[in-house]
Amino acid sequence: MSPQDGPRQVVVGLGAGASGFSADGRGYERGGGGPGSDLATTDMVLNVGPQHPATHGVLRLRMTLDGERIVHCEPVVGYMHRGVEKLFEVRDYRQIIVLANRHDWLSAFSSELGVVLAVERMLGMQVPERATWTRMLLAELNRVLNHLMFLGSYPLEVGAITPIFYAFRERETIQEVMEEVSGGRMHYMFNRVGGLKEDVPAGWTGRVCDAVAAVRRRLPQIEDLIFGNEIFQARTRGVGVLPVDVAHAFGVSGPIARASGVDLDLRRDEPYLAYEELLADGVLQVVTRTEGDCYARFACLLAQVKVSLDLADACLERLTEMAQGPINVRLPKIVKAPEGSTYAWTENPLGINGYWLVSRGEKTPWRLKLRSASFNNIAALPHVLEGCVVADMVAILGSMFFVVGDIDK
Amino acid sequence: MAERPIGSENQPARYGAGLLKGLAVTWRNLTRRSVTAQYPDVRPELPPRSRGVIALQEENCTVCMLCARECPAWCIYIDSHKETTPATTEGGRDRSHNVLDAFDIDFSLCMYCSICIEVCPFDALHWTPEFEYAEFDIRDLTHDKDRLREWMWTVPPPPALDHHAEAAKELEVTRRAVQDDT
Repeated sequence: MSPQDGPRQVVVGLGAGASGFSADGRGYERGGGGPGSDLATTDMVLNVGPQHPATHGVLRLRMTLDGERIVHCEPVVGYMHRGVEKLFEVRDYRQIIVLANRHDWLSAFSSELGVVLAVERMLGMQVPERATWTRMLLAELNRVLNHLMFLGSYPLEVGAITPIFYAFRERETIQEVMEEVSGGRMHYMFNRVGGLKEDVPAGWTGRVCDAVAAVRRRLPQIEDLIFGNEIFQARTRGVGVLPVDVAHAFGVSGPIARASGVDLDLRRDEPYLAYEELLADGVLQVVTRTEGDCYARFACLLAQVKVSLDLADACLERLTEMAQGPINVRLPKIVKAPEGSTYAWTENPLGINGYWLVSRGEKTPWRLKLRSASFNNIAALPHVLEGCVVADMVAILGSMFFVVGDIDK
Repeated sequence: MAERPIGSENQPARYGAGLLKGLAVTWRNLTRRSVTAQYPDVRPELPPRSRGVIALQEENCTVCMLCARECPAWCIYIDSHKETTPATTEGGRDRSHNVLDAFDIDFSLCMYCSICIEVCPFDALHWTPEFEYAEFDIRDLTHDKDRLREWMWTVPPPPALDHHAEAAKELEVTRRAVQDDT
């Protein structure tokens, strides 16, 4: 059977609505007026969400289908909108930290960090060295926690149940030390303007060292389990390619953009905290891929975990040889940012997270604009999904690594 | 975007090698002890800083309302009245002081941010790692001062700080006072 006469031959056997095989004759796609078919078909609108279990949280997708092909996709966001920017305006800077770590619940520490960096810059405040390095350590541990979540949940979405148990075992190892230092498992609330809430408990750095070593030792298990798996590769290789120009056009950032070859990492390109020193030491590596498909995005995440573990080790080393010193600046009862504005952005686990802080000299900000990573990343989703088949939809959606709270804010 | 023909991925050289590798991981873990925590039978060991629930040392509270005002979720409800103690000596003044009538925290609103504990100037509020206070009705999550006082018995002592940490303010003051004496 030659590929050209494929469609007309099989349409009978597959029942109503099926126009036949795909153009090259190797697939088994049903329906649609795509190439190789001369059937006129009606488009169907498929609604996914807002409570669909295949999506994270309450994202809704309105998709127009031509047979099994997605011809149009419209993400409908805002079901979880909490008006966080407006809430920021009626809270003082300490209360803002509570809210700032909630929009992206998987990168709470990094999101807190942006707020305090903005306020500290406005105040012209010098943060103690111990605070800087501890913040960096915790931010990297937070990145590992975030990435492990997706390293576990993404295989789950494409049908592999096992990796999430391994990912969560590693998460638990790190979460234990995070809980010991901050008291929280998700919403750490450990940053304060001028440093951290309190110093680390005795022996904590040693336990972090052990946790990092344990995760590094067991990380190859996740890699062996899923990364080389043929079924996983068949589901993700060449699927959902995000072209580099689309990534640029939509302001896509983070591991997703780097998987498409956008070589941007704020830790290197606009260093905050003390990342500059780690970059000079060569510990900070920026992971990039060029393929831009689901597999590359997953690979980026996996490689970033390794880099983050190295960074955590470097921070620990510095902390242990550092002289005795304070971890925060004693603040007055009321902290007022002077009149003016600043934009502080950080490389959050999911991408660039920015705060534009405008102050009129009050104890609350006049405006605090939040630029969250997932919102921009998900904006590119229609471009990736259009032309794909429905069966790949969840594989692509899962590989865009987003948190709905971060989209809806 | 170009349409991707289905089933046209470049296949790996040795098909099934990756699958076997994954199975080897599973097998190795099968021979090890599981990491599952047997929660209701074995209680978790939580670090002293764990933010489980807020306990109230009622005796320390002076009804200054700082916690209720600073709370970003406004979930602390305080009620009090003034009492006057008559002067004990001839020609002395009557003393008035606040008496706490009600101190409720609505844990369905609480964001566990620990701002109230930080701002309390008399150390009346403390975190405790206690976490088993789930209720069937959301209204039952508002706990009164007696319940909060009971939790006070479960408050752990704070952990010792890292030796790189700055010494506590009190220690520094004492050290300087001793130095001045000698």
